[in-house]
Amino acid sequence: MNEHIRYNRNRREFLNNCFCGVGSLAFASMMAEEQARAAASLNPLAPKPPSIPDHAPAKSMIFLFMAGGPSHLETFDPKPLLNKLDGQKRPAEFGDVQYQNVNASSRILGTKRTFKKCGQSGLEISDLFPYQAEVADELCVIRSMHGDMVVHSAAQYQMMTGRIIPGFPAMGSWVVYGLGSEAANLPAYVVMPDSHGAQEAGVPMYTNGFLPSVYQPTMFRPGNKPVLNLDLPGGVTLDERRRTISLLKDLNKATMPGEDPEFASRMAAYDTAFKMQTEAPKVFDLNTESKETLDLYGIGDPKTDDYGRRCLMARRMVENGVRFVCVVSGGGGPEAEWDAHSDIEDNHLRMASWTDKPVAALIKDLKRRGLLGSTIVLWGGEFGRSPESEKGKGRDHHNTGFSMYVAGGGFKGGTVYGATDDIGLKAIEKPVHFRDLHTTLLYQMGLNQDALSYMHLGRRERLTEVRGEIIKDIVA
Amino acid sequence: MRIHPYLKRRTAILIPGVLLAVSAGAFEDQVAPLGVYKPAEKSYWAFQPRRKVSPPAVAAANPVDAFILDGLKKAGLKPAPPADKLTLIRRATYDLHGLPPTPEEIDAFLRDTSPKAYDRLVDRLLASPRYGEQWGRHWLDVVRFAESDGYEYDTHRPDAYRFRDYVVRSFNEDKPYNQFVKEQLAGDEMDPDNETYLVASGFNRLGPLRKNAGNQNVASSRNEVLTEMTNVVGAAFLGVTVGCARCHDHKFDPFRQSDYYRLQGYFAQAQPNDLLRASKEEQAAWHAQVDPLNQQMRQLQRKMGTASETEKGKIQADLDAIDEKMPLPLTAIYAVKDNPKQATPLHTLFHGDYLDPREAVGARPLGILVPEDAPEEPVTIEKPRLKLAEWLVDPANPLPARVMVNRIWQYHFGRGIVSTANDFGRMGGKPSNPDLLDYLANQYIANGWQMKPLHRMIMLSNAYRQASQSPTEKLAIEKDPENDLLWKFGRRRLEAEEIRDSMLAISGRLNAKIGGPSVLVPIDHDLVKMLKRPQYWVSTRDKSEYDRRTMYLIYKRNLQLPFMGVFDAPDMQLSCPRREQSTHAPQALELLNGQLSNEQAAFFAQRLQESRPTDAARIDLAWRLATGRPPTLKEKQLAMTYLAEKPGDPVRLKELSLDLFNLNAFIYVN
Repeated sequence: MNEHIRYNRNRREFLNNCFCGVGSLAFASMMAEEQARAAASLNPLAPKPPSIPDHAPAKSMIFLFMAGGPSHLETFDPKPLLNKLDGQKRPAEFGDVQYQNVNASSRILGTKRTFKKCGQSGLEISDLFPYQAEVADELCVIRSMHGDMVVHSAAQYQMMTGRIIPGFPAMGSWVVYGLGSEAANLPAYVVMPDSHGAQEAGVPMYTNGFLPSVYQPTMFRPGNKPVLNLDLPGGVTLDERRRTISLLKDLNKATMPGEDPEFASRMAAYDTAFKMQTEAPKVFDLNTESKETLDLYGIGDPKTDDYGRRCLMARRMVENGVRFVCVVSGGGGPEAEWDAHSDIEDNHLRMASWTDKPVAALIKDLKRRGLLGSTIVLWGGEFGRSPESEKGKGRDHHNTGFSMYVAGGGFKGGTVYGATDDIGLKAIEKPVHFRDLHTTLLYQMGLNQDALSYMHLGRRERLTEVRGEIIKDIVA
Repeated sequence: MRIHPYLKRRTAILIPGVLLAVSAGAFEDQVAPLGVYKPAEKSYWAFQPRRKVSPPAVAAANPVDAFILDGLKKAGLKPAPPADKLTLIRRATYDLHGLPPTPEEIDAFLRDTSPKAYDRLVDRLLASPRYGEQWGRHWLDVVRFAESDGYEYDTHRPDAYRFRDYVVRSFNEDKPYNQFVKEQLAGDEMDPDNETYLVASGFNRLGPLRKNAGNQNVASSRNEVLTEMTNVVGAAFLGVTVGCARCHDHKFDPFRQSDYYRLQGYFAQAQPNDLLRASKEEQAAWHAQVDPLNQQMRQLQRKMGTASETEKGKIQADLDAIDEKMPLPLTAIYAVKDNPKQATPLHTLFHGDYLDPREAVGARPLGILVPEDAPEEPVTIEKPRLKLAEWLVDPANPLPARVMVNRIWQYHFGRGIVSTANDFGRMGGKPSNPDLLDYLANQYIANGWQMKPLHRMIMLSNAYRQASQSPTEKLAIEKDPENDLLWKFGRRRLEAEEIRDSMLAISGRLNAKIGGPSVLVPIDHDLVKMLKRPQYWVSTRDKSEYDRRTMYLIYKRNLQLPFMGVFDAPDMQLSCPRREQSTHAPQALELLNGQLSNEQAAFFAQRLQESRPTDAARIDLAWRLATGRPPTLKEKQLAMTYLAEKPGDPVRLKELSLDLFNLNAFIYVN
């Protein structure tokens, strides 16, 4: 395909768009199999085979996005030296990094959290996360994450889209572009925002960028009716609407100029839309879940109800074939984000009390339903937090060494990968850049970072702008 | 594993002023050599002078047809038969106005049986101010026009509409393109007292702008601003991806990193310049509100210097609270101006990293397009951007005329002669008809860079007037699947703005007002909540404004109206040379269940009810309004049956109206 910007102008372009998210098909063979393929092409999100043969353990991904930057020092990266150096200036041998607010006069801040070896694996998790400690053996903690930006918006763009500027497709859009969707009556890519408000990079970090709008995320709204336009407009019954659509189809058929794949696809989209309207609300209805499950996620407890509902919804999405779900924790401002500038204890205890139980419940629930093996759960934020204090009790943004974890999806549970130095300032052992993480996540979904590309403005764009490396050691 | 980016930054100096001083001094003696280009690079088609081409010797009254027929003949193909008059008026009206023709306009065109009827139609459409709206909108896509900063705060630019109106006016006046380019790049340098020019120079500030809380890293921000200013020159005017050379020599085209930073050299002096246009009273009222807030902020910032760590948190919270109270800036013109004293010293940047400057560079156009020994000039020269603009639109420059006629061709036919309108480089599409491209570009310049004569020539051609279906479709698809040779006219789906504007026009609700401040329509609260600064979304008070053309609704970088996004409107973060056209279920949900389509369907039904006495007459009118033609027998029969099932039920007429907004015959233009 030598097209930079695809555009359904005619039959060939149209068929190309339907079939070839990745790579391309020879036109001759396409003509030969036209009939069969035309039928499959009616759904532009029809599942596509992975581009890496024989390696695609994961079918879906859930990103538990801890917006604002959770501290590695209070969660997954114990640093005993930090408490010894509490109140002192950073020893020169650790070197320098660029901060937003921390400066040369800032002092090291010890942590009040205590760490414990958890599970069979002995993975170290702090007492901030007693529930996640119960699933320690499922987690693969990467302690050597690093990114390029120390401010929220640009760091969030890089984490989500691989670029520090807006306008590029998000991970979720790329994955759906590469694999299509298994969910006929649900959106392929769902973002569940935090009801407290927005994150710094805003909606553009979740969107499809220059990819066609079929790869857009569906931004869920709070409550029982998360998807816009699934409800009938006032004054119209379902029967009435069924008739409206049948009339529409008859009218379109009446002037159809023979066989026409684009028109056929358009009519199929109306069928899908109607099915979504009737089927999707069943998936959104959490009342069919048992009390035990609701309790597991902390639904009903005011602290965990909101995030618990969204995590449970995420499980139901994945169960029904949704490809990518992002469940956001944090929004609206530092108090309701992991952005602990003024008081790390106060902030992280609050954020953990909202999310720890639901996160652990999601992993347990996926596991007991046999879904964890085919679902990647990614936990983390756009950066970690500084070893030095800000404003006495807080910690500043920190992009040169922090922790994220992956669970399920063919990753090795109960493992730690990489390391920061003794005060958690820099990733010094096996550093993992966002692009390496992206590459590895794609790999686990059977997608090759180079094959998953799209021509845009003269460049073959991909999620990993600069080629990333697969972290083979954490792949089972 | 690679070296960590921050390891190489170990020596980075955190104080921006010092960094600039160091980079200005330390690298003075290392000057990037002028580029050397291989013969293969120099001989690439796009960089060759335009050839003098005459239309091929094929019997055709219109030169465009001579080229097209020649191409078809060589491929053993035939053009499609002429389209009928109903198809033509709908095609031409959407093409030039982005709106459907009214039944009166259709009748007048059908009545006019003279051979000049179609010529007159094209002339009428080109003379209407609707033309500037539709074609100006295309340009706004290319220059990624939006009315907010993007990034965290996404601060509104309430006066950005002046640039949008300037573009619309320029198209309506058929301003010569060479003048149009100069005004946008260098209006302030051409005449600092000319308001139109100053507004035009706001072109240099259209890109997203990152502002941070906490420390604002001056050098980093400046670098980002210069990047935005430079990249758009390549994309919009030159049609090359010179932006790729920011981090490394271009991998496919002959643009060295030094070329990129030399191009940036023309912007080194450019600084934002907001020229107040508020009345004395407005200024006084604004200052009465803002000055005390500023004073409080200054006091707090002073305190911050000596505050203890614990006090700092409280002070920051107070600062944020004051910031929230700040009103929008006073009405202004967003211009730029040169400040040679503040000229940013420019270097090639290793991997595009502003903390890693290498050799110093001055200002110089792209090396491949000038003699190899053409010297660079210091970045402090007078009127640098005007120099750049004059080089761009010098008739000897092979690219800008080709790039612009290709855009014009693309918007008429749906596909450019070069299919990648922003990329004429090796990764872009090859011209499907290089002679035609050069012929059009030469004509364009000969016509004084005016667009309307070119529109006329293209639209009066048989190639433009042929049907969108060919009797020999099967054969033609095999030989030319992309329809590059134009064996038929390419059907197109309406764009997002066109769909909304058409619904308003058909329902009779369209507010046809032209220009002025952008409108904020009331939207779903959950959408506003997805903004970091939801307080910026204040709905326009005058409700009649909600029914204005879509191009007058605010283009906000962090909040795209769902209707727009679902129909492939660009997000205005990057230049958009051609819109995507995808087909999927959320579009169906939007048009069937969405608030906009249902509201307008109700108004449409009301219009039909009130203006025609019988169902049969209402159906006739509905089709004429929505599809530009009467219903076919079959369509009419289906609609009659549908209404007769529940006689007089208002829901039925409304649902029928809604179906018309969902109909292929409405959504597509043949």
